[in-house]
Amino acid sequence: MKKTLLILFLWLLFLGQAYASGKGLTLLKDRPAVPDFNLKDVDGNNYRFSDLKGKVVIVNFWATWCPPCRAEMPSMQRAWEQLREEGILMLAIDVGEDEDAIFEFTASYPVEFPILLDTESSVSESWEVKGLPTTFVIDQWGRKVYRAVGGREWDAPELLKKVRELKQVP
Amino acid sequence: MRYRIGLLSFLFLLNLSLMAEITVETGKNTGLRTWKWVHEGISLQLVQRLPDQTRAYVMAKGFPRDAADELATSCFFGSMFRNDGSKPMDFDLREWEVVQGTGTGKMKIRESWKQRFGSRKDIPKSARIGLNWSLMPTVQHFEPGDYNWGMTVYGLSPGEKFDLRLKIVVAGKPLQAVIPGLQCAPETVEKPVS
Repeated sequence: MKKTLLILFLWLLFLGQAYASGKGLTLLKDRPAVPDFNLKDVDGNNYRFSDLKGKVVIVNFWATWCPPCRAEMPSMQRAWEQLREEGILMLAIDVGEDEDAIFEFTASYPVEFPILLDTESSVSESWEVKGLPTTFVIDQWGRKVYRAVGGREWDAPELLKKVRELKQVP
Repeated sequence: MRYRIGLLSFLFLLNLSLMAEITVETGKNTGLRTWKWVHEGISLQLVQRLPDQTRAYVMAKGFPRDAADELATSCFFGSMFRNDGSKPMDFDLREWEVVQGTGTGKMKIRESWKQRFGSRKDIPKSARIGLNWSLMPTVQHFEPGDYNWGMTVYGLSPGEKFDLRLKIVVAGKPLQAVIPGLQCAPETVEKPVS
């Protein structure tokens, strides 16, 4: 009796500790199609999302005042340095700010991937972003495949593997 | 047999209580207090924000002085909500309650401020958009590994005390908890001597 209870107690304790933390990407099983958008980047270039069909694209929604957004930017740049040669695109969409805020930010956090301006936050809302940062990985058919709410280490091998695997799908 | 079931129930409840924890800390440099609630890897951290911090933040975004004062004295907390557990979770801040004695109130969520300032022509749209995104989402779904930072607002005056009755849904099962003894930051805090 005592032994059974002891085992049960230890098992229950283990159950309490077993909820290991894990980041990563959430697979969106229904793969919803993303709404198209037309946004300018900080240099005034136009980006229409539907023009990128056929490419795997990482789309990050962020803002300069958001600490986790700032924290993940260097890892996004490192990921971009690996992925750009492979034909995978990365876009950062700033929510609700103007060029001045971005220029101030990129002076201390230089990034080379395009930063688009969603000053009215209409694209963020149509993409059903609720909090910043939120990142989607979009497949060649313009569908959301993965989502990450909160910052990530984007150059982590397990994340890059998932993104690269999408490109290999015929 | 009844003894065994009773003991097992006790052990199960003991295990649950071991998984849920509330800690309170005071910042060494700021003197501001932080409450942290943790349950099965899900955590909510609430950090006091001085009215002046909020006032400066929203004025920098373009809010005029009177609106900034109203925001600053509405009890803002810096908030971090994380799901480091193994199950998906959902929350809806509209269901949470701010408890003082026998009375209960609701939090001031994104939609409250949209309604409050929506018709003010002297508040730039960019300022309203900035405030909106700075606040914790009203409704959110977290898979394991997800998290949000954002401010939460309780609609009380500086220094007021309250309990927060929070409700979340973990893997489809509702869970209620209370964080007792929260306190809105006062107008000023004496920094601890280091």
